Amino acid sequence: MILACSEKENLVGEIFSAARDLATQLGCEAALVELDDVKPSIKVNGKIIILKANTRLSSNPELATAAITELAKKSGAQIILFGTTRFGRQVAAQTAVRMRLPALSDTRDLKIEQGKLTGTRMVYGGKFAARISAPLPCIATVQSGSYQNDTDTSSSVETIAVNVPTARTTHLETEHTSKASANLSSAQIIVSVGRGFKTKEDLAMAEELAKIMEGMVGCSRPLASDLGWLSEDQHIGLTGIHVHPNLYVAVGISGQLQHTAGIRNSKIIVAINNDKQAPIFQIADYGIIGDLYQVIPELTKLLTSNNQSSAGKQ
Amino acid sequence: MNIVVCVKHATDENELQSDESGKPRLNPDARKMSTFDRNAVEAAVRIRDSKGGSITVVSLGDVDCKKTVKEALAMGGDRGVVILSNSHLDALMTSYYLANAIQKIGNPDLILCSEGASDTYVGFLGPMLAEWLNLPFIGYARDIEITEHTVKCEEQLEDRIETVTANLPAVISVVSEINEPRYTTLLQIIQASKKPIEEITLESLKAPDFPYSQVEVVDVRAETVNRKRIIFEGSPEVTAKKLIAALENEGITT
Repeated sequence: MILACSEKENLVGEIFSAARDLATQLGCEAALVELDDVKPSIKVNGKIIILKANTRLSSNPELATAAITELAKKSGAQIILFGTTRFGRQVAAQTAVRMRLPALSDTRDLKIEQGKLTGTRMVYGGKFAARISAPLPCIATVQSGSYQNDTDTSSSVETIAVNVPTARTTHLETEHTSKASANLSSAQIIVSVGRGFKTKEDLAMAEELAKIMEGMVGCSRPLASDLGWLSEDQHIGLTGIHVHPNLYVAVGISGQLQHTAGIRNSKIIVAINNDKQAPIFQIADYGIIGDLYQVIPELTKLLTSNNQSSAGKQ
Repeated sequence: MNIVVCVKHATDENELQSDESGKPRLNPDARKMSTFDRNAVEAAVRIRDSKGGSITVVSLGDVDCKKTVKEALAMGGDRGVVILSNSHLDALMTSYYLANAIQKIGNPDLILCSEGASDTYVGFLGPMLAEWLNLPFIGYARDIEITEHTVKCEEQLEDRIETVTANLPAVISVVSEINEPRYTTLLQIIQASKKPIEEITLESLKAPDFPYSQVEVVDVRAETVNRKRIIFEGSPEVTAKKLIAALENEGITT
């Protein structure tokens, strides 16, 4: 049995498809584990197990750990997959300790090789990729963007009641900070902003450009974490989201490894920066050396008039 | 307040180059304290300075990891403990031995680490330590508030900030936004060399009851950067036009 679990709705399809690939290789069953309830948009081609307790399991990674450990022991799970989120990492790590199982972190291209679960992960700030393996049974967190979404109707839904002890931490308050309207890890065009922007208000320029390109806005770490101009789920990089769009436009981003680790799988990378020496130009397909305050409005203007003229032709 | 802070003597990813075959040219001398660990040390120093007590800096690795421990001592740590190991240990094994060493050190009120190492970024250490020690875990803290027997933190998650509280002792991992780590002065470095560093061996710690380090690194290869690197310079009008033409050529329609 292979179990796949993520608290994040938009990762579930991908994780389950990874689980199903592995189940095919091993000739066993894959099941999606949902905490508390099935999230409304979930569509997977396979079995769903709902874990329910007298408290909300998805409210605390420690409770999720207790519930999943119980299920994994009962079902004799060979592989347990989690999403690469901050919640998922904690559950993976703590389940690993409780079950004394090896755990792989942030992996893509998962396969069974010589009886072991093998996957690729980024190391050294994304400069290198490591192929790592662990014998079964084991645990892995799956890097988003590496699998197609699974979209079908589930074959069966089973609810299992679990008993979990009182958590050692108490959650007092949740403040939702997300400003992103959809999932950046599946965006086809991303306009990403960095320290080159002088004020939060100036980001409107990038938002306008993204809108006309039908893309989404992402950012480097300082803009989300230090400055709080954008939300943490727009933060692209080693410690944030890894993206793989057709077009990635880095505006006013210098291109430290911390950031570029998250954009390497982009098809085309464009950099706009006034610093000729900025490392971002080393990993860009196209670069404009210039003042973003002049280049961005110009791009927006040209694209707007292109769109209008092509609309006129139709 | 007795604080333990865990640090890693990590490969400096900025210096790392690959050889002809694409493998990293690992140089034991091109290592430094894992970038994010500086924030964990800084957090420890600030808490100690306001609440009193002492800071024990703990690291697992070869003998060179004493360099990183010394640096943490220069930042304000009081004493160091180095668990000597020359072999590669996976996260489960590393956390197991660190937890054992921490138990041996005494009963800390607070155990701090970073969200993940800057070279490998596995990110399992904090939650694993908490589990081995049977303590509460608060992850990705961007703020730590200590009262007498409890701790309250703001956890910075992807789409939300959660305010979480737990009784002490607790394990907390911090994000780099929590503080601006201090630079050390020559005087602090000299003073740090007088602070004690205890060396302990893996063998002196309780042997694990599960199989030895099972996560294996099969291969490490340079990520190939195959980019066109076409640069446009000139007036915004000209460069913007050239870029749009280039993207149209690539088949990207906007």
